[in-house]
Amino acid sequence: MDEILDGTTQIDCDILIIGGGTAGPMAALKAKRKNPEANVVLLDKANVKRSGAISMGMDGLNNSVIPGYATPEQYTKEITIANDGIVDQKAVYRYADECYGIIQELDQFGIRFQKDQNGEYDVKKVHHIGTYVLPMPNGDTVKKALYRQLRKARINIVNRYMATRLLTGEDRIAGAICVNTRTAEFLVVRAKAVIMALGAAGRLGLPSSGYLYGTYENASNSGEGYAMSYHAGAGLANLECFQINPLIKDYNGPACAYVAGPMGGYTANAQGERFIECDYWSGQMMQEFYDELQGGKGPVYLKLNHLAEETVAEIERVLHIVERPTRGHFHKGRGTDYRTEMIEMHISEVGFCSGHSASGVFVDEHARTTIPGLYAAGDMANVPHNYMLGAFTNGAFAGLDAVDYIKDVDFADFDMGEVDAEQTRVLAPTKRDDGIPPNQIEYKTRRFVNDYLQPPKVTAKMELAQRRFAEVRHDMENEMYVRDSHELMRSLEASTILDCADMAAAASLYRTESRWGLYHNRVEYERDDENWFCHTILTKGDDGKPAHRKQPVQPYVVEIDDDEKNAYANQRVNSTVAAE
Amino acid sequence: MTALFEDFDEIGELAEALDDPSPGARIMAVMELADSADPAAIPHLARAIADADAGVRKQAALALTDFDGPDTAAALVSALTDGDAAVVAAASVSLTELKDPAAGDAILPHLDDPDTIKLKACLAGIKELRRPEAMGPAIAALKHADAGVRAEAVGVIGWLQDQNALPALRDAAKDGETQVRRTALAALGFSKSEHAEATLVEGLKDPEWMVREAAAETLAKSGSAGCVAVLRDALQDEFWQVRLKAVRSLGRLNATEAAIEIAPMMDLPVPNLRKECAAVLGEMAVVETLPFLEKYKDDPDPDVRKNVRWALGKMAVQ
Amino acid sequence: MPLAQTSSIVPVVVDKALCIADKGCTVCVDVCPLDVLRIAASDDGTQTAYMKYDECWYCMPCEADCPTGAVTVNLPYLLK
Repeated sequence: MDEILDGTTQIDCDILIIGGGTAGPMAALKAKRKNPEANVVLLDKANVKRSGAISMGMDGLNNSVIPGYATPEQYTKEITIANDGIVDQKAVYRYADECYGIIQELDQFGIRFQKDQNGEYDVKKVHHIGTYVLPMPNGDTVKKALYRQLRKARINIVNRYMATRLLTGEDRIAGAICVNTRTAEFLVVRAKAVIMALGAAGRLGLPSSGYLYGTYENASNSGEGYAMSYHAGAGLANLECFQINPLIKDYNGPACAYVAGPMGGYTANAQGERFIECDYWSGQMMQEFYDELQGGKGPVYLKLNHLAEETVAEIERVLHIVERPTRGHFHKGRGTDYRTEMIEMHISEVGFCSGHSASGVFVDEHARTTIPGLYAAGDMANVPHNYMLGAFTNGAFAGLDAVDYIKDVDFADFDMGEVDAEQTRVLAPTKRDDGIPPNQIEYKTRRFVNDYLQPPKVTAKMELAQRRFAEVRHDMENEMYVRDSHELMRSLEASTILDCADMAAAASLYRTESRWGLYHNRVEYERDDENWFCHTILTKGDDGKPAHRKQPVQPYVVEIDDDEKNAYANQRVNSTVAAE
Repeated sequence: MTALFEDFDEIGELAEALDDPSPGARIMAVMELADSADPAAIPHLARAIADADAGVRKQAALALTDFDGPDTAAALVSALTDGDAAVVAAASVSLTELKDPAAGDAILPHLDDPDTIKLKACLAGIKELRRPEAMGPAIAALKHADAGVRAEAVGVIGWLQDQNALPALRDAAKDGETQVRRTALAALGFSKSEHAEATLVEGLKDPEWMVREAAAETLAKSGSAGCVAVLRDALQDEFWQVRLKAVRSLGRLNATEAAIEIAPMMDLPVPNLRKECAAVLGEMAVVETLPFLEKYKDDPDPDVRKNVRWALGKMAVQ
Repeated sequence: MPLAQTSSIVPVVVDKALCIADKGCTVCVDVCPLDVLRIAASDDGTQTAYMKYDECWYCMPCEADCPTGAVTVNLPYLLK
């Protein structure tokens, strides 16, 4: 295994789905059920059994909209406000309206949600503004259940192939070029429609541990969806709205306020006082977190030691089994006990991820990108704050719409020269006798991301980043060297990461205002609704560099009156400002 | 060229390896049968669950999670008396994953099994299948010596949501074991009857705080105006967790007469409770509570502050 | 070749006595999202899974899915 082999295979399919994590399997199932005749191929860089952000499961839904607990209108309002208004509500509303059906379907798959002692959904945190948290006590079985459904539906699964570039022709999607991560053999897929579900760009910033793979996101989510969309000419929205999350320091896994919150846990400063709202994550919340860390009131902690023994035991049971089970090992190794001390928290490295923020490939309420026949769903598509249930639901939308799309189209012609050029690009590091290994290219890129792009964002620093990235790119294109096909995969990831870093710098420089709290805190600029109440769309310009345009926010379908805007704004103001 | 697509092998061929002399090879065969997701694999897995090697039996018990129906259930039930504890544990978990009510056919005959572990697993397995025939055996199991069995039996009864079971739940609410009492009270939530309410009101006097918490919480669903007085008493509970649920339930019942008692609780040093009080006071919107809310509109705790301001906003509108 | 041989302690450990790679088992290798595990043959012909690349997200499918309990995921030293 791992030696570099020659070879190219071409296959045809109706719908190619790239990424078998969360959105991808749901897209495949929906497409296949709607049209059993359709040839659906699900491709993954890893193995569909355990790929993606929910590789080990998920402890709950953070954004379930269940009749009787929350309404689509409420949810749409909250997401709009959490995103400082920059939201095309149609997509959010459609998600909110249809996600309950998806929950029921997942339940049928054998994915279990917490129910009360009468077998009804047990939605925690009964709350006046809306209740969205639905725990999944056996959330460790999610991937297993999904895989079972894929096998039953006889979906064609291709594992260990990494898509590197999309193919386009006749102004629409034509397919994708992929490379085997264990043999370096190529696979050219002609497809009438392509659904991208490749997850977040989680290996953009460097975690404070310095370990390249110690990321908040699954480290295999290195941002291929973003880079491929860019090179294919699709529009990417609001990339400057970075993902930054609160997490357990060093372990770098989620603190799981969603689990601990409804049971009484919260984020506290060194004095043990709560200093941020814990209803939902937002850039404003992260700004407050950052201020506390920087302002001498840190460290910041997850506080559980005020809870009863029985409650702590229950929290431990959930947190140490599901999503990131090594968390239990971590606390054990450090000798930390939730009962007696608070758990030190920190903020994550930056990334792109609409699942938690809003940085993603632009899509509409059908998960369509700006390229006909090309779809995106999940963490990489820009429906904001959509988390796991959003990935499932928007993946379903993509699968359903793609089936309609392929009815009227045949394969688009593309230029075989593109395939040759891509093979040359991919294999270049294998043609050298020595040089720079991919991990060093990646490390340097990501260290510069931390040095220069991490908010608060400063113009001069971001411009320096662009110069440094250009130097790394020169080295990468001329000197990167790999010894086997596994390293070749890492070299392709290094290239993706550098593309994402370039986009992150360019997008952040373009929006000359501050918005979304810490996510896009530009120290030289205030929020500027007059000029920047809009999406920013990044595309690949004619010069091969990022180009930008503003795109109006679509008229709201759920009106938010000034009262409500103010009510939320007031709630956010900190105590000293409010007292003035 | 390496194989491109995942295989869909013939079940018969995969199953041949179940006769391999090496337990490792048989474990591999079991895993491949599971991945097939093809119901034709069930009889082979049923055979593997009786394998000579405990590792193979455990893997077969895990593998059956991928299947459903009476045959799957029967195979899993047969593994509940396995000599190896790991096999029993795996089979017990897999039983709870069943969804097809028909699978209950293979479980129902065992709901009076003398083996405690087996009985517990069978009750847990039948719960989500909601088979009405399970009611009788579940009520009988409430008298079982083992508290785990009694807790599972309460679960079965709660999921069936049958008014006729209210007396049984009332008995279970007096059980010697905390967990059983707590579950029994929560299970009453489906019923808006005097009987349920009376049982929950009694539960508020339980010596264990978790039981009182369950009672206070469930009264939001099963209670009427008649339980407001006892919920108001529960506002004085020594455990803030109970007080919090009482506040919430009073809010749900819109017991505005309690507002003036809830308001001073904003002064207590428990962040979670203060937050809940502010939210409920907002929902109740009783003018007399305004001074308490005003006092905390700049509270240093942002969740308290947010809820106070929301409450004040709501009262201003009215 | 100028590449250095720098040592690294790897987080995933496999118990040789329990591993059934000999029987064709590749479960841990298959499920790793980062594809860092491989099967090694020793001189006596026995085969065992091992961690070939120090690129671990400490996510645990390899440990959870191993049918014989041969795999243990420790935390990478840099962050433990």
